[in-house]
Amino acid sequence: MRAPTMTEVRDWVNERTGFETVWNALLERHIPEAKGPVAWAYTLGSASMFVFTLQAVTGALLAMNYVPSTDHAYDSVRFIGSSVLMGGFIRGLHHYGASFMVVLVVAHMLRIYLMGSYKYPREGTWMVGVLLFLVVIGFGFTGYLLPWDQKAYWATAVGTNIAGQTPVVGGMVAKILKGGADMGAPTLTRFYALHVLVLPGVIGVLLGVHLFLVVWHGISEPPTRMGGKGGSRG
Amino acid sequence: MPNDEACVREEAAGGVSRRTFLTAGIVVLGGAISALLGATGLSYFISPAFKKDEEDWVDIGRASDMKPGAPLKVDFVARKRDAWVVTEKRSSAWVSTDGKEFTVFDPRCTHLGCPYRWDQAREQFLCPCHAAVFDAKGQVVSGPPPRPLDRFAAKVVEGRLLIQPQAIKGAA
Ligand code: HEM
Ligand code: FES
Repeated sequence: MRAPTMTEVRDWVNERTGFETVWNALLERHIPEAKGPVAWAYTLGSASMFVFTLQAVTGALLAMNYVPSTDHAYDSVRFIGSSVLMGGFIRGLHHYGASFMVVLVVAHMLRIYLMGSYKYPREGTWMVGVLLFLVVIGFGFTGYLLPWDQKAYWATAVGTNIAGQTPVVGGMVAKILKGGADMGAPTLTRFYALHVLVLPGVIGVLLGVHLFLVVWHGISEPPTRMGGKGGSRG
Repeated sequence: MPNDEACVREEAAGGVSRRTFLTAGIVVLGGAISALLGATGLSYFISPAFKKDEEDWVDIGRASDMKPGAPLKVDFVARKRDAWVVTEKRSSAWVSTDGKEFTVFDPRCTHLGCPYRWDQAREQFLCPCHAAVFDAKGQVVSGPPPRPLDRFAAKVVEGRLLIQPQAIKGAA
Protein backbone atom coordinates (compact mmCIF):
# COMPACT_ATOMS: atom_id res chain seq x y z
CA MET A 1 0.00 0.00 0.00
CA ARG A 2 1.38 3.42 -0.96
CA ALA A 3 1.54 6.32 1.45
CA PRO A 4 -1.20 8.95 0.99
CA THR A 5 -0.12 12.20 -0.68
CA MET A 6 -0.42 15.58 1.07
CA THR A 7 -3.41 16.47 -1.11
CA GLU A 8 -5.17 13.25 -0.13
CA VAL A 9 -4.57 13.92 3.56
CA ARG A 10 -5.86 17.50 3.19
CA ASP A 11 -8.96 16.38 1.30
CA TRP A 12 -9.62 13.61 3.86
CA VAL A 13 -9.57 16.12 6.74
CA ASN A 14 -11.47 18.76 4.77
CA GLU A 15 -14.35 16.43 3.90
CA ARG A 16 -14.74 15.64 7.59
CA THR A 17 -14.22 19.12 9.12
CA GLY A 18 -14.84 21.71 6.40
CA PHE A 19 -11.72 23.57 7.56
CA GLU A 20 -11.09 25.08 4.10
CA THR A 21 -14.26 27.14 4.36
CA VAL A 22 -13.09 28.51 7.72
CA TRP A 23 -9.53 29.02 6.42
CA ASN A 24 -10.78 30.93 3.37
CA ALA A 25 -13.17 33.07 5.41
CA LEU A 26 -10.44 34.03 7.86
CA LEU A 27 -7.27 34.25 5.78
CA GLU A 28 -8.25 34.47 2.09
CA ARG A 29 -10.70 37.32 2.55
CA HIS A 30 -10.47 40.60 0.65
CA ILE A 31 -8.94 43.53 2.45
CA PRO A 32 -8.65 47.17 1.34
CA GLU A 33 -5.79 48.14 -0.89
CA ALA A 34 -3.59 50.64 0.89
CA LYS A 35 0.06 51.55 1.03
CA GLY A 36 2.50 53.39 3.22
CA PRO A 37 1.61 54.48 6.78
CA VAL A 38 -2.09 53.82 6.12
CA ALA A 39 -1.35 50.18 5.33
CA TRP A 40 0.72 49.93 8.52
CA ALA A 41 -2.15 51.34 10.56
CA TYR A 42 -4.24 48.32 9.52
CA THR A 43 -1.79 45.98 11.29
CA LEU A 44 -2.36 47.40 14.79
CA GLY A 45 -5.23 45.04 15.69
CA SER A 46 -3.19 41.98 14.69
CA ALA A 47 -0.21 43.37 16.59
CA SER A 48 -2.39 43.63 19.73
CA MET A 49 -3.46 40.00 19.17
CA PHE A 50 0.18 38.93 18.91
CA VAL A 51 1.23 40.65 22.14
CA PHE A 52 -1.85 39.27 23.88
CA THR A 53 -0.82 35.73 22.87
CA LEU A 54 2.67 36.48 24.18
CA GLN A 55 1.17 37.64 27.51
CA ALA A 56 -0.93 34.47 27.77
CA VAL A 57 2.07 32.19 27.16
CA THR A 58 4.56 34.08 29.37
CA GLY A 59 1.84 34.53 32.03
CA ALA A 60 1.15 30.79 32.14
CA LEU A 61 4.90 30.16 32.51
CA LEU A 62 5.20 32.73 35.32
CA ALA A 63 2.24 31.14 37.11
CA MET A 64 4.23 27.90 37.36
CA ASN A 65 6.58 29.55 39.88
CA TYR A 66 4.49 32.37 41.31
CA VAL A 67 2.71 32.06 44.69
CA PRO A 68 -0.15 34.51 45.37
CA SER A 69 0.41 34.69 49.12
CA THR A 70 1.59 37.66 51.16
CA ASP A 71 4.52 35.72 52.63
CA HIS A 72 5.73 34.16 49.37
CA ALA A 73 4.70 36.41 46.45
CA TYR A 74 7.70 38.74 46.63
CA ASP A 75 10.22 35.90 47.08
CA SER A 76 8.66 33.77 44.34
CA VAL A 77 8.98 36.66 41.86
CA ARG A 78 12.66 37.16 42.97
CA PHE A 79 13.13 33.41 42.51
CA ILE A 80 11.81 33.53 38.94
CA GLY A 81 14.31 36.27 38.15
CA SER A 82 17.33 34.75 39.87
CA SER A 83 17.00 30.96 39.77
CA VAL A 84 14.76 29.85 36.91
CA LEU A 85 16.44 29.31 33.52
CA MET A 86 15.34 32.23 31.28
CA GLY A 87 13.11 33.38 34.17
CA GLY A 88 14.27 36.98 34.04
CA PHE A 89 13.69 37.06 30.29
CA ILE A 90 10.19 35.52 30.49
CA ARG A 91 9.24 37.94 33.25
CA GLY A 92 10.73 40.81 31.25
CA LEU A 93 8.63 39.87 28.23
CA HIS A 94 5.47 39.78 30.38
CA HIS A 95 6.41 43.03 32.16
CA TYR A 96 7.21 45.11 29.07
CA GLY A 97 4.57 43.26 27.04
CA ALA A 98 1.95 44.53 29.51
CA SER A 99 2.87 48.16 28.80
CA PHE A 100 3.26 47.59 25.07
CA MET A 101 -0.16 45.91 24.96
CA VAL A 102 -1.77 49.11 26.26
CA VAL A 103 0.20 51.21 23.73
CA LEU A 104 -0.89 48.98 20.82
CA VAL A 105 -4.53 48.82 21.86
CA VAL A 106 -4.67 52.63 22.17
CA ALA A 107 -2.99 53.01 18.75
CA HIS A 108 -5.47 50.52 17.22
CA MET A 109 -8.38 52.49 18.72
CA LEU A 110 -6.95 55.74 17.36
CA ARG A 111 -6.74 54.32 13.82
CA ILE A 112 -10.39 53.16 14.03
CA TYR A 113 -11.40 56.60 15.25
CA LEU A 114 -9.35 58.63 12.79
CA MET A 115 -10.46 56.56 9.78
CA GLY A 116 -14.09 56.58 10.90
CA SER A 117 -14.11 52.77 10.81
CA TYR A 118 -16.50 52.65 13.79
CA LYS A 119 -19.38 53.93 11.62
CA TYR A 120 -22.35 51.91 10.35
CA PRO A 121 -22.47 48.91 10.27
CA ARG A 122 -19.46 48.42 12.57
CA GLU A 123 -20.77 50.03 15.79
CA GLY A 124 -20.94 46.61 17.49
CA THR A 125 -17.27 45.94 16.74
CA TRP A 126 -16.39 49.32 18.30
CA MET A 127 -18.48 48.70 21.43
CA VAL A 128 -16.90 45.29 22.00
CA GLY A 129 -13.55 46.99 21.40
CA VAL A 130 -14.23 49.48 24.21
CA LEU A 131 -14.91 46.53 26.55
CA LEU A 132 -11.66 44.91 25.36
CA PHE A 133 -9.80 48.12 26.21
CA LEU A 134 -11.27 48.11 29.73
CA VAL A 135 -10.28 44.46 30.20
CA VAL A 136 -6.70 45.25 29.14
CA ILE A 137 -6.60 48.08 31.70
CA GLY A 138 -7.99 45.57 34.23
CA PHE A 139 -5.12 43.17 33.41
CA GLY A 140 -2.63 45.97 34.01
CA PHE A 141 -4.22 47.05 37.32
CA THR A 142 -4.51 43.54 38.77
CA GLY A 143 -1.13 42.34 37.44
CA TYR A 144 0.72 45.33 38.88
CA LEU A 145 -0.01 44.19 42.46
CA LEU A 146 1.28 40.64 42.01
CA PRO A 147 5.04 41.20 42.65
CA TRP A 148 3.93 42.49 46.13
CA ASP A 149 6.81 44.95 46.45
CA GLN A 150 6.55 48.54 47.71
CA LYS A 151 5.66 49.96 44.30
CA ALA A 152 3.00 47.31 43.74
CA TYR A 153 1.49 47.72 47.20
CA TRP A 154 1.24 51.50 47.18
CA ALA A 155 0.06 51.72 43.58
CA THR A 156 -2.84 49.43 44.49
CA ALA A 157 -3.48 51.36 47.71
CA VAL A 158 -3.82 54.53 45.61
CA GLY A 159 -5.90 52.75 42.96
CA THR A 160 -8.38 51.28 45.44
CA ASN A 161 -8.58 54.63 47.27
CA ILE A 162 -9.48 56.33 43.99
CA ALA A 163 -12.27 53.76 43.55
CA GLY A 164 -13.30 54.57 47.14
CA GLN A 165 -13.85 58.25 46.22
CA THR A 166 -16.81 57.37 43.97
CA PRO A 167 -19.99 58.94 45.35
CA VAL A 168 -22.43 56.61 47.18
CA VAL A 169 -21.04 53.21 46.11
CA GLY A 170 -17.31 54.02 46.41
CA GLY A 171 -16.80 52.60 49.89
CA MET A 172 -18.36 49.28 48.94
CA VAL A 173 -16.48 49.06 45.64
CA ALA A 174 -13.16 49.66 47.42
CA LYS A 175 -13.96 46.97 50.03
CA ILE A 176 -14.97 44.48 47.34
CA LEU A 177 -11.74 45.18 45.42
CA LYS A 178 -9.61 44.83 48.55
CA GLY A 179 -11.54 41.87 49.95
CA GLY A 180 -11.89 43.73 53.25
CA ALA A 181 -11.51 47.11 54.90
CA ASP A 182 -7.70 47.08 54.59
CA MET A 183 -5.34 45.80 51.92
CA GLY A 184 -3.90 42.43 52.82
CA ALA A 185 -3.85 38.72 52.06
CA PRO A 186 -7.33 38.62 50.45
CA THR A 187 -6.45 41.57 48.17
CA LEU A 188 -3.58 39.61 46.65
CA THR A 189 -5.60 36.41 46.09
CA ARG A 190 -8.51 38.40 44.63
CA PHE A 191 -6.29 40.28 42.20
CA TYR A 192 -4.54 37.04 41.25
CA ALA A 193 -7.84 35.24 40.55
CA LEU A 194 -9.05 38.18 38.46
CA HIS A 195 -5.73 38.41 36.61
CA VAL A 196 -5.28 34.76 35.66
CA LEU A 197 -8.83 33.32 35.68
CA VAL A 198 -11.60 35.89 35.33
CA LEU A 199 -10.07 38.40 32.91
CA PRO A 200 -8.57 35.76 30.53
CA GLY A 201 -12.04 34.16 30.34
CA VAL A 202 -13.72 37.48 29.67
CA ILE A 203 -11.13 38.59 27.11
CA GLY A 204 -11.47 35.23 25.30
CA VAL A 205 -15.21 35.70 24.81
CA LEU A 206 -14.86 39.37 23.83
CA LEU A 207 -12.04 38.65 21.36
CA GLY A 208 -14.14 35.90 19.78
CA VAL A 209 -17.04 38.31 19.21
CA HIS A 210 -14.72 41.14 18.06
CA LEU A 211 -12.95 38.97 15.47
CA PHE A 212 -16.19 37.38 14.31
CA LEU A 213 -17.61 40.85 13.63
CA VAL A 214 -14.40 41.94 11.86
CA VAL A 215 -14.66 38.99 9.47
CA TRP A 216 -18.45 39.27 9.13
CA HIS A 217 -18.36 42.93 8.04
CA GLY A 218 -15.02 42.82 6.25
CA ILE A 219 -12.38 45.52 6.75
CA SER A 220 -13.48 49.09 5.98
CA GLU A 221 -11.92 51.11 3.16
CA PRO A 222 -9.73 54.06 4.03
CA PRO A 223 -11.81 57.27 3.97
CA THR A 224 -11.71 59.32 0.77
CA ARG A 225 -12.38 63.05 0.28
CA MET A 226 -15.75 64.19 -1.06
CA GLY A 227 -15.65 64.14 -4.87
CA GLY A 228 -13.47 61.07 -4.92
CA LYS A 229 -10.15 62.90 -4.70
CA GLY A 230 -7.59 62.36 -1.94
CA GLY A 231 -7.63 59.43 0.43
CA SER A 232 -4.80 56.95 0.59
CA ARG A 233 -4.88 56.11 -3.09
CA GLY A 234 -5.46 59.69 -4.22
CA MET B 1 -41.93 29.99 17.11
CA PRO B 2 -43.91 26.75 17.10
CA ASN B 3 -44.88 26.32 13.50
CA ASP B 4 -45.46 22.68 12.64
CA GLU B 5 -48.87 21.22 12.04
CA ALA B 6 -49.46 19.63 15.45
CA CYS B 7 -48.60 22.91 17.18
CA VAL B 8 -50.86 24.94 15.00
CA ARG B 9 -53.72 22.51 15.54
CA GLU B 10 -53.32 22.39 19.32
CA GLU B 11 -53.02 26.14 19.63
CA ALA B 12 -56.00 26.75 17.33
CA ALA B 13 -58.02 24.48 19.62
CA GLY B 14 -57.30 26.97 22.44
CA GLY B 15 -54.75 24.73 24.17
CA VAL B 16 -51.08 25.06 24.95
CA SER B 17 -48.96 23.10 22.52
CA ARG B 18 -46.41 20.60 23.80
CA ARG B 19 -43.63 22.77 22.34
CA THR B 20 -44.81 25.99 23.97
CA PHE B 21 -45.16 24.17 27.28
CA LEU B 22 -41.64 22.71 27.11
CA THR B 23 -40.15 26.05 26.03
CA ALA B 24 -41.79 27.79 28.98
CA GLY B 25 -40.55 25.02 31.29
CA ILE B 26 -36.96 25.43 30.08
CA VAL B 27 -37.09 29.21 30.45
CA VAL B 28 -38.59 29.07 33.96
CA LEU B 29 -36.35 26.30 35.31
CA GLY B 30 -33.25 27.65 33.57
CA GLY B 31 -34.02 31.11 34.91
CA ALA B 32 -34.47 29.82 38.45
CA ILE B 33 -31.22 27.84 38.35
CA SER B 34 -29.27 30.79 36.90
CA ALA B 35 -30.75 33.19 39.46
CA LEU B 36 -29.87 30.87 42.34
CA LEU B 37 -26.32 30.20 41.17
CA GLY B 38 -25.84 33.85 40.19
CA ALA B 39 -27.00 35.14 43.57
CA THR B 40 -24.78 32.66 45.40
CA GLY B 41 -21.70 33.62 43.40
CA LEU B 42 -22.42 37.33 43.60
CA SER B 43 -22.87 37.30 47.38
CA TYR B 44 -19.56 35.41 47.74
CA PHE B 45 -17.83 38.00 45.55
CA ILE B 46 -19.22 41.12 47.24
CA SER B 47 -19.21 39.76 50.82
CA PRO B 48 -16.21 41.92 51.90
CA ALA B 49 -18.43 44.99 51.53
CA PHE B 50 -20.54 43.84 54.47
CA LYS B 51 -17.86 42.45 56.76
CA LYS B 52 -17.27 44.20 60.08
CA ASP B 53 -13.60 44.84 60.70
CA GLU B 54 -13.02 44.77 64.44
CA GLU B 55 -9.78 44.65 66.36
CA ASP B 56 -9.72 41.53 68.51
CA TRP B 57 -9.96 41.90 72.26
CA VAL B 58 -6.65 41.13 73.99
CA ASP B 59 -6.46 39.62 77.47
CA ILE B 60 -3.86 41.62 79.41
CA GLY B 61 -4.15 40.02 82.86
CA ARG B 62 -6.22 39.65 86.02
CA ALA B 63 -8.28 42.74 86.75
CA SER B 64 -7.64 42.40 90.48
CA ASP B 65 -3.87 42.75 89.84
CA MET B 66 -4.38 46.37 88.78
CA LYS B 67 -4.53 48.50 91.94
CA PRO B 68 -5.68 52.08 92.31
CA GLY B 69 -2.80 54.56 92.58
CA ALA B 70 0.10 54.57 90.16
CA PRO B 71 -0.80 53.66 86.54
CA LEU B 72 0.73 50.35 85.50
CA LYS B 73 2.55 49.69 82.23
CA VAL B 74 1.39 46.33 80.87
CA ASP B 75 3.19 44.49 78.05
CA PHE B 76 1.18 42.16 75.87
CA VAL B 77 1.22 40.45 72.49
CA ALA B 78 -1.43 41.72 70.10
CA ARG B 79 -2.62 39.38 67.38
CA LYS B 80 -3.78 41.04 64.22
CA ARG B 81 -5.91 38.96 61.88
CA ASP B 82 -5.63 39.52 58.14
CA ALA B 83 -8.07 36.90 56.80
CA TRP B 84 -6.12 33.62 57.25
CA VAL B 85 -2.87 35.33 58.21
CA VAL B 86 -2.30 36.12 61.88
CA THR B 87 0.56 38.42 62.81
CA GLU B 88 1.75 38.93 66.37
CA LYS B 89 3.06 42.26 67.53
CA ARG B 90 4.61 43.11 70.93
CA SER B 91 2.81 46.04 72.36
CA SER B 92 2.03 47.75 75.64
CA ALA B 93 -0.52 49.99 77.35
CA TRP B 94 -0.83 52.15 80.50
CA VAL B 95 -3.61 50.98 82.79
CA SER B 96 -5.03 53.02 85.63
CA THR B 97 -8.02 52.30 87.81
CA ASP B 98 -10.01 53.80 90.64
CA GLY B 99 -10.93 50.29 91.80
CA LYS B 100 -14.06 50.07 89.64
CA GLU B 101 -13.46 51.61 86.22
CA PHE B 102 -10.40 50.94 84.10
CA THR B 103 -8.78 53.57 81.90
CA VAL B 104 -6.27 52.28 79.36
CA PHE B 105 -3.96 54.68 77.50
CA ASP B 106 -2.23 54.17 74.16
CA PRO B 107 1.50 54.18 75.14
CA ARG B 108 2.40 56.63 72.35
CA CYS B 109 2.54 60.36 73.04
CA THR B 110 -0.10 62.24 71.03
CA HIS B 111 2.54 64.71 69.86
CA LEU B 112 4.81 62.56 67.68
CA GLY B 113 4.43 59.11 69.13
CA CYS B 114 7.27 58.78 71.65
CA PRO B 115 6.76 56.35 74.55
CA TYR B 116 6.10 58.41 77.68
CA ARG B 117 6.59 57.31 81.33
CA TRP B 118 4.89 57.80 84.68
CA ASP B 119 6.60 60.05 87.22
CA GLN B 120 5.44 58.87 90.64
CA ALA B 121 6.72 61.92 92.53
CA ARG B 122 4.86 64.41 90.29
CA GLU B 123 1.94 62.01 89.59
CA GLN B 124 2.16 62.95 85.92
CA PHE B 125 3.05 61.31 82.59
CA LEU B 126 6.23 62.80 81.10
CA CYS B 127 7.32 62.51 77.50
CA PRO B 128 11.11 62.49 76.99
CA CYS B 129 11.03 63.72 73.41
CA HIS B 130 9.67 67.28 73.65
CA ALA B 131 8.88 67.53 77.33
CA ALA B 132 5.12 67.00 77.18
CA VAL B 133 3.32 66.59 80.51
CA PHE B 134 -0.04 64.83 80.95
CA ASP B 135 -1.99 64.43 84.17
CA ALA B 136 -3.22 61.07 85.52
CA LYS B 137 -6.41 61.40 83.44
CA GLY B 138 -4.40 61.91 80.28
CA GLN B 139 -5.13 65.64 79.89
CA VAL B 140 -2.35 67.81 78.50
CA VAL B 141 -0.72 69.86 81.25
CA SER B 142 2.00 71.43 79.14
CA GLY B 143 4.03 70.88 75.99
CA PRO B 144 3.27 70.40 72.28
CA PRO B 145 0.67 67.55 72.15
CA PRO B 146 -2.48 68.61 70.24
CA ARG B 147 -4.85 66.40 72.26
CA PRO B 148 -5.10 64.31 75.45
CA LEU B 149 -3.64 60.78 75.50
CA ASP B 150 -5.42 58.32 73.19
CA ARG B 151 -7.26 55.50 74.89
CA PHE B 152 -7.96 51.82 74.22
CA ALA B 153 -11.42 50.35 74.82
CA ALA B 154 -11.39 48.14 77.95
CA LYS B 155 -13.76 45.73 79.66
CA VAL B 156 -13.63 43.12 82.40
CA VAL B 157 -14.85 39.62 81.54
CA GLU B 158 -14.79 36.92 84.24
CA GLY B 159 -12.15 38.78 86.22
CA ARG B 160 -9.82 39.29 83.22
CA LEU B 161 -9.08 42.72 81.80
CA LEU B 162 -9.59 42.81 78.03
CA ILE B 163 -8.54 45.71 75.80
CA GLN B 164 -8.85 46.61 72.11
CA PRO B 165 -5.45 48.05 71.13
CA GLN B 166 -6.87 50.50 68.62
CA ALA B 167 -6.47 54.17 69.50
CA ILE B 168 -9.65 56.09 70.24
CA LYS B 169 -8.45 59.54 69.22
CA GLY B 170 -8.32 62.29 71.81
CA ALA B 171 -10.98 60.74 74.03
CA ALA B 172 -10.95 62.76 77.22
C1 HEM C 1 -3.82 34.75 30.20
C2 HEM C 1 -3.08 35.80 30.35
C3 HEM C 1 -2.19 36.13 31.51
C4 HEM C 1 -1.66 35.35 32.57
C5 HEM C 1 -1.87 33.86 32.82
C6 HEM C 1 -0.87 36.23 33.38
C7 HEM C 1 -0.16 35.86 34.56
C8 HEM C 1 0.66 36.71 35.34
C9 HEM C 1 1.45 36.33 36.49
C10 HEM C 1 1.52 34.94 37.11
C11 HEM C 1 2.11 37.44 36.94
C12 HEM C 1 3.05 37.53 38.17
C13 HEM C 1 4.52 37.47 37.79
C14 HEM C 1 5.17 38.85 37.69
O1 HEM C 1 4.70 39.75 38.37
O2 HEM C 1 6.13 39.05 36.93
C15 HEM C 1 1.71 38.53 36.08
C16 HEM C 1 2.17 39.85 36.18
C17 HEM C 1 1.72 40.95 35.42
N1 HEM C 1 0.82 40.90 34.35
FE1 HEM C 1 -0.01 39.21 33.60
N2 HEM C 1 -0.92 37.50 32.85
C18 HEM C 1 -1.73 37.48 31.70
C19 HEM C 1 -2.04 38.53 30.85
C20 HEM C 1 -1.71 39.87 31.04
C21 HEM C 1 -2.09 40.96 30.15
C22 HEM C 1 -2.94 40.85 28.85
C23 HEM C 1 -1.56 42.08 30.67
C24 HEM C 1 -1.73 43.43 29.97
C25 HEM C 1 -1.93 44.57 30.40
C26 HEM C 1 -0.85 41.72 31.92
C27 HEM C 1 -0.19 42.59 32.81
C28 HEM C 1 0.63 42.21 33.88
C29 HEM C 1 1.44 43.12 34.67
C30 HEM C 1 1.53 44.66 34.52
C31 HEM C 1 2.14 42.32 35.62
C32 HEM C 1 3.19 42.79 36.62
C33 HEM C 1 4.52 42.45 35.98
C34 HEM C 1 5.76 42.81 36.78
O3 HEM C 1 5.82 43.88 37.38
O4 HEM C 1 6.67 42.01 36.75
N3 HEM C 1 -0.95 40.34 32.09
N4 HEM C 1 0.84 38.06 35.12
S1 FES D 1 6.57 63.13 71.08
FE1 FES D 1 5.96 63.47 73.11
S2 FES D 1 6.34 65.57 73.30
FE2 FES D 1 6.87 65.25 71.23
